[in-house]
Order: sequence, then C-alpha cells, then structure tokens
Amino acid sequence: MNIRNRQLIPSFQRPVSRVLIRRAASYQQELGELILESLREFKLPVQDKTVLLKPNLVGLDPLGVMNTHPAVIAATRESFLRLGAARVLVGDGPAMDRDTQAILESVRLREFTGNLMRDFCDLNLDDVEKVILETRASRLKELFLPKTVLGVDFLVSMPKLKTHHWAGVTLSLKNMFGIVPGSCYGWPKNVLHWAGIDRSILDINAAARPDFAIVDGILGMEGNGPIQGTPKAAGLVLFGDDPVAVDATACRVMGLLPEKVTYLARAGTMLGHLDPAKIQQLGESLDSVRTPFAVLPEFRRLVG
Amino acid sequence: MIASGDSHGKFVTKTYPRLMKGAMDAGLCADTCLAVLREEQNDDGGWGYHNESQSRVEPTCWALCALSAAQNRSDYALALSRAQRYLLASQQKEGFWTASPEMKTGNWVTSLACAVLSLHVETQRAALAGLAWLCQDYPLDSSPWRRFLRRLRPNPNTSLHDDSYRGWGWTPQTSSWVEPTAFALLAMQQFPAEHLPVAASRRRMLAVGLLYDRMCPGGGWNCGNPRVYGVDGEPLVLPTCWALLALRMSPEHENKSLSLAWLEAEISKIQSPASLAVATMCLQAYGKASPAGRLNLEDCEELLCKGVHVLAWISLALNAHRVWPARIGGTT
Repeated sequence: MNIRNRQLIPSFQRPVSRVLIRRAASYQQELGELILESLREFKLPVQDKTVLLKPNLVGLDPLGVMNTHPAVIAATRESFLRLGAARVLVGDGPAMDRDTQAILESVRLREFTGNLMRDFCDLNLDDVEKVILETRASRLKELFLPKTVLGVDFLVSMPKLKTHHWAGVTLSLKNMFGIVPGSCYGWPKNVLHWAGIDRSILDINAAARPDFAIVDGILGMEGNGPIQGTPKAAGLVLFGDDPVAVDATACRVMGLLPEKVTYLARAGTMLGHLDPAKIQQLGESLDSVRTPFAVLPEFRRLVG
Repeated sequence: MIASGDSHGKFVTKTYPRLMKGAMDAGLCADTCLAVLREEQNDDGGWGYHNESQSRVEPTCWALCALSAAQNRSDYALALSRAQRYLLASQQKEGFWTASPEMKTGNWVTSLACAVLSLHVETQRAALAGLAWLCQDYPLDSSPWRRFLRRLRPNPNTSLHDDSYRGWGWTPQTSSWVEPTAFALLAMQQFPAEHLPVAASRRRMLAVGLLYDRMCPGGGWNCGNPRVYGVDGEPLVLPTCWALLALRMSPEHENKSLSLAWLEAEISKIQSPASLAVATMCLQAYGKASPAGRLNLEDCEELLCKGVHVLAWISLALNAHRVWPARIGGTT
C-alpha cells in the first residue's frame, strides 16, 4: 500500500474494485459515524500507519461550495485515528492562490479539526523529491513532488463532486493536481496545462496513486466548475479503494459517461477500473442516487 | 514550544517567544521575527520554507530581505553574509536560480534573488547576470507562432487576453502570469535603466501592459485570469499587492487607483498573516493607512508552521526602514 512503491499494474491485472455510496443530506448531520462505518467496510491497513488526507482546497470559500467541506475532512481524520492510524495528516497545495492559510481561514477548518499545526501540510511549500514519470502519458519526464506525499503509508484523495471547465469533471484523480508544488511550478501549476491536463492527470496519479478515495458529494458544483460553477446538492459521500472506479461511479451519479472523459478513459486501462462489471457497488444503488449535473456546452458529449 | 524535524522523523523541541496579541510594539515584534529567522537559518546559509526543511531560494530571499532591513544590522551580519553566499552558490552559470536544488531549469525565483542581491553592492553583479537571463526568458504563449495559431482557432468563450503583451511565467516555456511578471518588474526597478540589459526597456513596457490587461474588471488581480467562460474573475490579495507594488513607479492610471481602492476595502477582511503583511507593505508604499497593529496576533510557533517567508513578510511590514519590496511612502 505504500505509495513509494510506484510499480504500475495494468487494470486487467487488478482485482475487482469496491465503491460504497452513502447518503448524507447535509454537513450539519453526524458525519463521524457514517464515515467510520463506511471505512470499516474496507478493512483498510492503516493500523499504526501515517495517513495523508488530500482534500480539494481550490480557493476562498466562505459559503462552502467549492472546497471539500471541513466537516468531511474532520470526520474522516477522526475516523482514521479511531481505526488505529498513528498519525493523520491533512495536506493540499492550492493551485490558484498561494495563501493557503487564507483558504483555511475562509472555510473555518480549525473550527472543525482544531489547530492542526504540523499535522497540516501545505504541499506547495513542502520539501520535494524528483520523481521520474514512468508512464510518459504527457511530455513531462519528471516532476518534483512533496516528500510528505511520497513518504506517507496511506494516501486518501478527498475531492468534491464537481464538473470542470477544462477536464470535464474534477474528482479524485484530478484532485491530485494539488500535490504538485506551487513553489516549484507556480500558482497556477501552468506547466501541467502545457503538458496537457488529461495526460498530466495520468502521470501524477501513476506517480502517486491514492490508496483510497472519498468524494464529498453532499454539496457539489455543476457547470463552470471548479470555482465559478453553480452549487448542486447531491446528498452523497462516495468511498472506494480504487480512485478510477470511484471517479467512474461519481460520473455515473452525475449523469455523465466516464468513458467519454478523456483522462478517465485512459486511466481505466492503467490505473483502475472503469468497467461497471469490475466495480462492486455497495451501499445505495446508482439508480436511486443519480443526480444529473449540468456541463458547459464543450462537454455535452459527456452526458449519458 | 515547537516540535521541529521532518514530519515522520525525530522531533527536536525549541522554544520561541510568543507574540502577544496587542502587547508588543511593532519594532519589538519585527525584532522577534528577525531573531527567530536567524535561529532558523540552515547550516548552508539558506532557509527552507519551514524549520528543518531543505534550503530553497524563495524563503532565503525573503529572510535575507528581512534581515537586510534590520536596524541593528550588525547583529545579523554573519547571517546576512551566509545567506548571500548561499544565493551566490546556488546561482547557475546561465544566471538563473532554480526553485529547488535538484531542479535544472530557471524559474520565477530568479526575480526574487536578483532583487535581494541588488540590495548589497557586493552581490549586484550576480543580480545583473540574473536580470540578463530574465530578459531573454520569454513566455511561450505570446510567441508569434502561438499568436498566429490562436487567430486560426479563436475560442472567445475561454478568455480575453491581449496576447501582444508579454510578461513572465512561473516556469520557462509556459504562459505569462501576474505574480512572476510583478516580481520581474520589481527586480528591474532596483537598477538604473543604463545598467539593465538592452531588452529590459521593452520587456518592462510589455509587462506593465500585461498587468493592466490582466486586471479583474472591478480592480485587483488574481493569478491572471480576469474573465473565464464569460465570468469575471475574483481578485486575490497577494497578486493584487505584488502587481500594485510593481506598478508603483509607473505613471498614474485609473486601473491602478481602482485596484488600490479594492485593496483598501478588502484589508479589513483579511484573516491570514501572510496576506495582511503584504497588504500592509503595499498600502504603506502608496502612503495609505494600514492596519499594521493587527499583525501582533499570533505566536512564532504558529507562524513558522505557515512558512519562513510569512515571518519575513511580517517583519518587513512592521519595519519602517525596509527598502524592498517597497519603502514606506512610495519612493524607491
């Protein structure tokens, strides 16, 4: 499970993935037990391990519509500690605003988690290590990535359920853009745009594949996401041991075809499962939770 | 107390003074920041973003800048000299600096290094070599070939930049963005025009034009996307401050006034010490009232978790004798 073992496993050699969909009507409800029970379903190997939660913190968000909600982050952190993790870090490297503290203050993270001090890692400013990109999906040959990300035992991608004006959707794979350090590549991490967003997503996730994904779909965003879109309530939290399968399922929840999302289609051959036959669906059925999300005209082809 | 060390290794405990809310005057607060910075200097003379982390050019530049402004500079002479040596040793033969020691390509930190090395006569030659590299570093998005291609495939829905302007990117061979453009302008302003490379004059003109072109419709700047898919971008404090500081010596312009007004209105809402410190410096540079007293709000332990550069910015904001990135009152 240690992500420093970056050996690529083709999807056809991977076991069936598991995705759990749970209803959660609002952030005010008790999320701790819901998340703890959900994580227990997966029997995760986190005892005495260091876990890094990688939420999606994209900008100042006093209304809680664009970032992973702090209530979800706090409940997840508490759950992993209750599962026996030795340490649960929270870390992100926002792409558009280098004042990460301002973002944290705007979402009032401290009110939910307490003062994390050194258990929060601004991945934009972390020490870095060169990682050779074996996949070469993009023209990037290497990336300098945060040592914290490369050093933890268990990495959890925690995106918000959103459409994205360049990539179609932004979920647990796209969320990993946030591990690329701004101190090396800037705000925004423009080198990834030049290398191709879809291809860069593949390279980054091959270099540091999340061990687990939790999607905050209680309140998502449709249309011109990831920042300027329209809030869209889906009332869901998704959990899964395969970020590709989780993202594919999240797309299906949003009424979108994951096979038409360029990076997901390719990720389905090299990073995880896209095929519903290879995804064991737990919790709520897809049909019962489907919530169509609007997309920009450029992405009408994604609508199922 | 603070536990230092890498996040998974052994922890060393240090004790730092607490900056009491409202109980310390600005000078003492700035001195406390400087003392902590000196304590945090790595053996190689540089600073990492956090204590015990690897030395990097950006935090070293800000720490050096803060120490250079210290009134009791003799107390910091050794630290200054070691920091200068770190920066000189990490300059590449082409003149640029890299963001991290293992990286091979120059990038935005070159502007910062040039600016702070310009503060000391003995390191100005290195700064000028860096500026020569900067003047040759053109972003790719505004190259003639790219502009030609864009005219063939216009997409009016995405953004409305005037691509005849050219600033600087965060990394070479990418696009122009507000903050690296502002830093490059600030670095060039440290030298008389006759000392700058031949290309500098035109680069400065194009960069100033780019900053105004990328301003958000209501004033202020974000990273450089004033309007995307038909929606106005929201300005952010730090890019706005750096852009305003870079434009300070430019002729009066209604967009500068508009952006300054946005910042003045925004400053009371700022909740982070980093933005508050830089906004304070910016408003002071324009001779505006600033809430420097609000900076006495956290202890060094917590500030160090946010970064050495934040501590340096606070020290600079509280120091009436600072020279760069802007003197108080708007003169260079």
